Amino acid sequence: MFTPAKPKLRYQLTFEGSWPTSVAFLGSGRRLAAGNQLGQIFVWELPEKPPEFKAEPKGDRQAPNVWPVRRLDGHGNEISRLAVALDGKFLASSSFDRSVRLWPTNAPVTGKIEVVLDADSRKREARRTGKKESSKEPGVTVETQIECELLEGHKEWIYTLGISGDGKRVISGDAASQVIVWDAATRKSVATWAGHPWNWILAASLSANGKTALVSEGRYKRDDFDIPSPGLKLWDVATAKESLDILKVQFPKFSPSERSYNSAQMWGKFVGAGLIASAISPDGKLVAVGQGGETGTGTVHLLDAVTGKLVRDVSSHGSGITDILFTSDGRHIVSTGRDTCVRICQVADGKEVAVLGAPRGGQFKDWFSAVALSPDERTIVATDIAGMIHVWEFEG
Amino acid sequence: MKGALATAAGGVVLNWGGLTGFRAIAEEARKVKKHCILLWMNGGASQFETFDMKPGRPTGGPFRPIDTNVPGIRICELMPKMAKQMDKVAVIRTMRTSEVDHPGGIYLMHTGYRPSANVRFPELGAVVAKYRGIVGADLPDFVKISSNGDAGAGFLGPKYQGFSIGSDGNLPQFSVSNMEPAKEAKRHDLRSFVEGRFAAETNSEVAQMHSESYEAARRLQKGRAAFKIDAEWAQSKELYGDSEFGRRCLLARKLVESGVAFVEVGQSSYDSHSDNFQWHRGLVPPMEHAWAGLLTDLKDRGMLDKTLVVWTGEIGRTPGINNRAGRDHYVRCWSTALAGCGIKGGQTYGTSDADGADVKENPVTEGDFFATIYSALSINPKAENYAGLRPVPLAPFGSKVVKELLG
Repeated sequence: MFTPAKPKLRYQLTFEGSWPTSVAFLGSGRRLAAGNQLGQIFVWELPEKPPEFKAEPKGDRQAPNVWPVRRLDGHGNEISRLAVALDGKFLASSSFDRSVRLWPTNAPVTGKIEVVLDADSRKREARRTGKKESSKEPGVTVETQIECELLEGHKEWIYTLGISGDGKRVISGDAASQVIVWDAATRKSVATWAGHPWNWILAASLSANGKTALVSEGRYKRDDFDIPSPGLKLWDVATAKESLDILKVQFPKFSPSERSYNSAQMWGKFVGAGLIASAISPDGKLVAVGQGGETGTGTVHLLDAVTGKLVRDVSSHGSGITDILFTSDGRHIVSTGRDTCVRICQVADGKEVAVLGAPRGGQFKDWFSAVALSPDERTIVATDIAGMIHVWEFEG
Repeated sequence: MKGALATAAGGVVLNWGGLTGFRAIAEEARKVKKHCILLWMNGGASQFETFDMKPGRPTGGPFRPIDTNVPGIRICELMPKMAKQMDKVAVIRTMRTSEVDHPGGIYLMHTGYRPSANVRFPELGAVVAKYRGIVGADLPDFVKISSNGDAGAGFLGPKYQGFSIGSDGNLPQFSVSNMEPAKEAKRHDLRSFVEGRFAAETNSEVAQMHSESYEAARRLQKGRAAFKIDAEWAQSKELYGDSEFGRRCLLARKLVESGVAFVEVGQSSYDSHSDNFQWHRGLVPPMEHAWAGLLTDLKDRGMLDKTLVVWTGEIGRTPGINNRAGRDHYVRCWSTALAGCGIKGGQTYGTSDADGADVKENPVTEGDFFATIYSALSINPKAENYAGLRPVPLAPFGSKVVKELLG
């Protein structure tokens, strides 16, 4: 059972040069992978006991760094999401390069390469000390891995990726509004459908058994007077048919083809700048969607998966949410966002029981882009666009 | 007091319309039937997400360049339809302008001049209306559709003021008289008589201009059909793309075809300080579809040779990506584009540096940009009008025509 007691910041992994965008644990709380905007994926192995560390007064770093051990080479553009499939045997990644890849987590090493992951720190240090920037100094040597399975079918940026609770099904959605559900074992598409042609798929999740999909679609406006309507629907994967239009439940007059300013006024408050994060509770009774983009305060809507009615709003992140997940017992929802915090709330009453990190002072101060929970639910990790990965451990 | 006018009250006003000699120049220039359509990207579209990509650089962002129908010219993947029209387009990659925020930038890129407390400079549309408009036409010479910029006709006077219509392209409600025609005509006769007497007795140009404006509004009743595009839209939706901006571009083409000298078409919301890439992904595809459709339509109708299509906003966007995933305002090096009306298409002019942070060669100022536009429209950029007693050239002193852009 997940118990968010006494969280302690154990590591702050340096991942600079390009924004980290996504993160996932690989089978245990000691091994994790993170991707960035360049399309790089690195793998870290965290020692049981962190190295000796003493925080500098007024320094940004409050926990030790550990360098990655491996880089997964293949993607050519931003990694949008990472997830783990088939009991930790594969890391699934989606990318703006229009591909989904499945990386065997026990694949052999392809080679070795030296990488620099602290380029921004070096620049800051050079500015602080007035010395010449030391970007030529050696970085860290990591293994490389190119072995992976390519899942092809998308023709546009893949924005989102989800995995069923049993790890057997993968769902991906792209900027051409195409959704594909894949069988992780055979790498074959088992269902495909499309949303409104003007939209792109912002978030997609599968139920524990992979039979139901929650899909959020939306798009930034084409003009102040030309604002495509978003979509939030449950789909039956077996038939690739819509089973519930949640926005229609929220707003009976809602029309997916409407695109006027007045129409946007109707759904704008519920959707915010886009429902970019989604999750289905382990028992399948609730769905959760988070308001993302840059919005006033992003909240998580908890909705009944049968009726589509709002159960309650939980959590709130200043300037918008970026990622959400349910704990395995379904009793807590974990969210992160542009306020550089991870917030843990009780599903039953919405009460916030833990906050990891702290706001840095307004909308101009970075954000956390993704969050993941280890299989034993004792370790939680969040990627920070400032070029860091924060790892907390709970007591017990 | 050359260039100034006395009012009935004895005051001095700006010389609306210029002096007789300048009127003659304008009339001569009008014989050349050239038109201009300004596609206005309000808020400032990013050069990195349109015409000056820096793939692989820290400033590059996630989009990738695609080939165009001109070998060697690559543009953003968000613009596949414009990629097939690049032989008609000249891109300026090295705009270096002098107003970094929106109000000043909008004024600057509508007039060619920085805002001034002393002189009210006219917008491009007003200048084109003066030099390319049709005297006594049913339709206005200067139409703005869902657009920005409030410099207006400035010292050229209300005769050349833009006629603004909303985002849906429909005429405003006040443009239709709800009076019975016979009653309206009777009332108009009475008003004309009274106003004519007043104008004659006071020798007031202001009164004369009011009368002209009133007549123009009445003439517009005859030209109302030009604003109705519903029937044509059904056939043109695919060409222009199913968007509000597409409809506006179709209306612009129709108005130009009906004789309007200048039409400005606006698209809003490019001020992407946050989520720049998502914003551009939303905004650019419908814009480029409509723009490509407009060029095709003008070409097919034999109008492109006489119609200049200008694509610009008020500013560019920063090379650096801020920590809201946005790009801020930038005027040291950004992009605009011209097509039609003798512009030598299929070229990029100027080069930015590796990160797009500065001009590497061939900077183009706002003055140079306006001088080139005026030249393409066969309007002398050095032609002067009077702001009170002060002669003011159409393009600022020292501006250079970018001759490489002209065919």
